[in-house]
Amino acid sequence: MNALLSVRDLAVRIGTRPLVEGISFDLKAGEVLSVVGESGSGKSMTAKALMGLLPPAATATGRAEFDGADLLDADIAPPRGTGIGLIFQEPMTALTPVLTIGLQLTEALVSHEICDQKEARRRAAAMLDRVGIPQPEMRMRQFPHELSGGMRQRVVIAMMMLLGPRVLIADEPTTALDVTVQAQILDLLREIVAETGIGLILITHDMGVVAEMSDTVLVMKSGQAVEHGPVTRIFKSPEADYTRTLLDAVPRIDAATEQAETKQDVLLSVSDINKTFNGRGPHLFRRHGTRALDNVSLNVRMGETLALVGESGSGKTTLGRVIARLTEADSGKIQLNSLDLTACKGRRLRAARRQVQMIFQDPYASLDPRQTVGHTIAEPLIIHERLPRSERNERVRQLIEKVGLEADMARRYPHEFSGGQRQRIAIARAIAARPSLVIADEPTSALDVSVQARILDLLEEMKRGEELTMLFISHDLAVVRQIADRVAVMRHGKILELGSTTQIFAAPRHPYTRALIDVVPVPDPARKRGVRPALKGSYPAGPLVEASPGHWVAS
Amino acid sequence: MWRFLGTRLAMGALTIWITTILVTLLIHAVPGDPVQIMYAQSQGTTPEQIEEVRRSLGLDRPIPVQYAMFIERLLHGDLGNTIRGGQPVLDVIMQRLPNTLILACAAMFIAILIGVPIGFLAAYREGSVVDISLMVLAIAGISMPHFWLGLMLLFFFALELGWLPVSGSGPLNLILPALTLGLSNAAIFARLTRSSMIDVMSQDYVQTAFAKGLPKALVLRRHVLRAGLLPVVTMMGLQFAFMMGGTIVVENIFSWNGVGRMAVEAIFQRDYPIIQGFILTFSVVVVTVAIVIDALYAVLDPRIRRA
Repeated sequence: MNALLSVRDLAVRIGTRPLVEGISFDLKAGEVLSVVGESGSGKSMTAKALMGLLPPAATATGRAEFDGADLLDADIAPPRGTGIGLIFQEPMTALTPVLTIGLQLTEALVSHEICDQKEARRRAAAMLDRVGIPQPEMRMRQFPHELSGGMRQRVVIAMMMLLGPRVLIADEPTTALDVTVQAQILDLLREIVAETGIGLILITHDMGVVAEMSDTVLVMKSGQAVEHGPVTRIFKSPEADYTRTLLDAVPRIDAATEQAETKQDVLLSVSDINKTFNGRGPHLFRRHGTRALDNVSLNVRMGETLALVGESGSGKTTLGRVIARLTEADSGKIQLNSLDLTACKGRRLRAARRQVQMIFQDPYASLDPRQTVGHTIAEPLIIHERLPRSERNERVRQLIEKVGLEADMARRYPHEFSGGQRQRIAIARAIAARPSLVIADEPTSALDVSVQARILDLLEEMKRGEELTMLFISHDLAVVRQIADRVAVMRHGKILELGSTTQIFAAPRHPYTRALIDVVPVPDPARKRGVRPALKGSYPAGPLVEASPGHWVAS
Repeated sequence: MWRFLGTRLAMGALTIWITTILVTLLIHAVPGDPVQIMYAQSQGTTPEQIEEVRRSLGLDRPIPVQYAMFIERLLHGDLGNTIRGGQPVLDVIMQRLPNTLILACAAMFIAILIGVPIGFLAAYREGSVVDISLMVLAIAGISMPHFWLGLMLLFFFALELGWLPVSGSGPLNLILPALTLGLSNAAIFARLTRSSMIDVMSQDYVQTAFAKGLPKALVLRRHVLRAGLLPVVTMMGLQFAFMMGGTIVVENIFSWNGVGRMAVEAIFQRDYPIIQGFILTFSVVVVTVAIVIDALYAVLDPRIRRA
């Protein structure tokens, strides 16, 4: 069968600097091509070049044959929308905030003179229904902020499909979504491909998604294609070293876990924590009384890594912030060793803060851009330990080397570092004052897979070398499986299941935990599954009962 | 939305209340005896007369009592009488306030009419010669003091060309002072519009609109302009407050018969009741405009409307 889209030697340059070079591939009808690579690999640029949406300074060369014309020919208007559709990563920003959903769905139909306004509304409603949005008529009168992230991504898909394109480019369409929502969106895309026979170009960094979705894979690195072939071949016998590195770096949810011996001494004891966000503030928690934590109790043992997993809104981040006393709980008690953290105030609270340190998700936002990294790392020492300057500088040198950077980097500023290096600096800062507990809130979610693997290794190393106790907050079950000793699964502000990593992953007892594990895409094309269970409805969320030694399940 | 506006109204009332306190204290903020200073320039005032004025202004009473008296009169719509002439302050102000408001509104109209399109054009041609020259012009506009720009306009259009009258009141007389006030604000609006539009144009939703194959003009008009104007609307409220301040200078240059000119005269004559009344009136105007702008913002931005 002839290819829908045939790309030969595509290159994108800004001035003389090449961003993308020598990309060639064919896309057939009904085929899913995954373009994989880490940030800066040029995968998004490739998509923009095909859409004719490159920034003005960039130029594209080569050929991209679609429907008998060359997409890269500047003299021909690109068949945007009607020929090729594009879906962006971030559904929160892909819809214009000040216009109704209905207008945004119908305007292109009217503008392309496919049909009139009335017919466009009818078609839009039918398409919304098709992509799984209930009450389409009502939704069309709403504004984007009134819809959840998953719904918005459905709207964007509907918006593009309405124009009847024959190729759809989806640029990281599920990266910003929860695993369960991701599964639904991937299912939807797969159904659309099967029903309409369009060609789908899926740009992603997630090997699990690649394995689940694609027929062929194109691996990109620094603007060049390093490998191109059928999905099974790429996973079974990757030819390029880079592909192998990429696959090895992926944490596997189905990997075996080794159980480390942990002491039984309790370091942190959290009991009956409640937290309700009230409806104040126009933007954030708009609904009145969002119950973020509902009678949460848990113990963290000396030297262990306890993972808190859950979807967004499960309360896992709030629990971390409450323990660090960055957010005040409404009621409950937090005890660290013999110290009652909830009772601390003023000077004593400041002294106690030394014991609990945080590592945040986004290393671009968590480091002060106007302080040298040396000063950032030294700050906890200045506050909590009166050391002579020379000794303090020595400690900073040691810390920087310990996290795998070079000591003379202390004089540089955060913008001179990559994301992974910044997260190393954030880790050095967190352990500088020798805390008893480190709370890491999604510390690797903003990083590329290969960088993530190295940061996880570093955290493991810190845990062994420094006897660090860690509360690891994450939505990524594969990462949790790799790093945690024990796991607590949270949903709607409650802990539903708590047990050792082996107990949770090998023998999950709670239906929600089982469903959560089940929706994670596994980087193995042989294990491609059909439509996955929806994670809706209610689950038992009563008090925890000990099902087997150390394994607690909500009844 | 009603809750949102309710909060804004309460904040506005609070602001005005704080202004009344400051206005009462103001008279004592000047070193020396206020009544002595008031009459320092006039010859032949007897100590009895001074004592009489002091009593009539209530300055012989403790400050909290003075404040209570001030508020009581205020609630009856009485801002006191002017020291020169003894007319009710409220009448004097109300007679001139419309002139000032007309001037400020005309200036705002000019500022938006010139500033927003220039900013939009500069953003559309970001980095081009057009963009750079427009923005250099804008910086020049911001840096130019009102009094200098006013005098230059007066020189060219009134004296050299003789197209427009030098001073006085009337529709033709409005043009020069409104231009003076409007042009520098147009520069501020141009810069803000430009940066806001550039920000919006790089958003995913604009790229998505292009990806749907919409023509450029439609994307700009519907997706970019609406979203990009939101910060400009906020700025309008702030700029209106500054513009009210600017009227003081401009009214004096062009002898425009507004409250600004009256205030300057009152300050020179130490006519405290007028100064107090002037400050209070300005604060009410500024607060009212701020609330109107907030309401407008809520209409434009659905995220606030449903809050």
